[in-house]
Amino acid sequence: MKEEFRLLIALQDLDIMIKETKDQSTSEELKNLGFKLTGLKELQEARVKLARKIPPVLINRYEKLMEHYTMAILPVTSDKCLGCFVRLPSVFFSAAHSHRLLTCENCGRMLYLL
Amino acid sequence: MDANKLVTFFEEDLCIFSLRSRKKFSALQEMIRHLAGTGRVSDEHFIMEMLKNRESLGSTGLGKGVAFPHGRSLAIKELTILFARSPGGVDFEALDSKPTRIFFLILAPSDKGADTYLALLSELISLVQKPNKLGELNKVKDYKTLIEILGGNGN
Repeated sequence: MKEEFRLLIALQDLDIMIKETKDQSTSEELKNLGFKLTGLKELQEARVKLARKIPPVLINRYEKLMEHYTMAILPVTSDKCLGCFVRLPSVFFSAAHSHRLLTCENCGRMLYLL
Repeated sequence: MDANKLVTFFEEDLCIFSLRSRKKFSALQEMIRHLAGTGRVSDEHFIMEMLKNRESLGSTGLGKGVAFPHGRSLAIKELTILFARSPGGVDFEALDSKPTRIFFLILAPSDKGADTYLALLSELISLVQKPNKLGELNKVKDYKTLIEILGGNGN
């Protein structure tokens, strides 16, 4: 997989963590379990550094998708896009496409073949 | 979640009874490498990055020798728990600064909500707070005994 795609996937994992930390219900639950969530600033700084390493065209596309959807990149676990549930073309599942980022032709989300 | 449900998440090939690494990130790396060897993760790098970021948010070493590294990633297919025991202890920057000997590494897919692992986390934390459980976990050397400690029948 191209390094820029790897960075983009890492960015989404980080964005999910930041969102979870900002979510009052989730963070309260974690705090009640005994976790100290004091490093939100560090996470946000890590996000800035990571985003800088990704080509602008790709990050712009990712951020536009994130404005509309909960996740810009979805795993492919069946023959349908998990975002819009439209069937994916069979070419997606060829060995040549494994571990690459593809695009759902219907909704535009990026798809990651596990 | 009851004990019978809890034990279904523990699999024999997802247990390390003698973790070799003594430092925080090398211990996490050892656990992730073990997971990758079972085919549960598609890319070790993503999981490691996610866990490092999670630790920068605040140590998941809650003290009393137990840590619960956890998080969600696109590189994990389904909710997975890895149990690890370190006989010598790991410097995991725990909240009480004491060495960590017991690890429950909990990984969830990023397309599922946080609630998929919070219930599990809550159940495991309650379990280790019960009298004697931690002492038993500190001595566990095999899967059957681990399942008995967690409340299953070990079969």
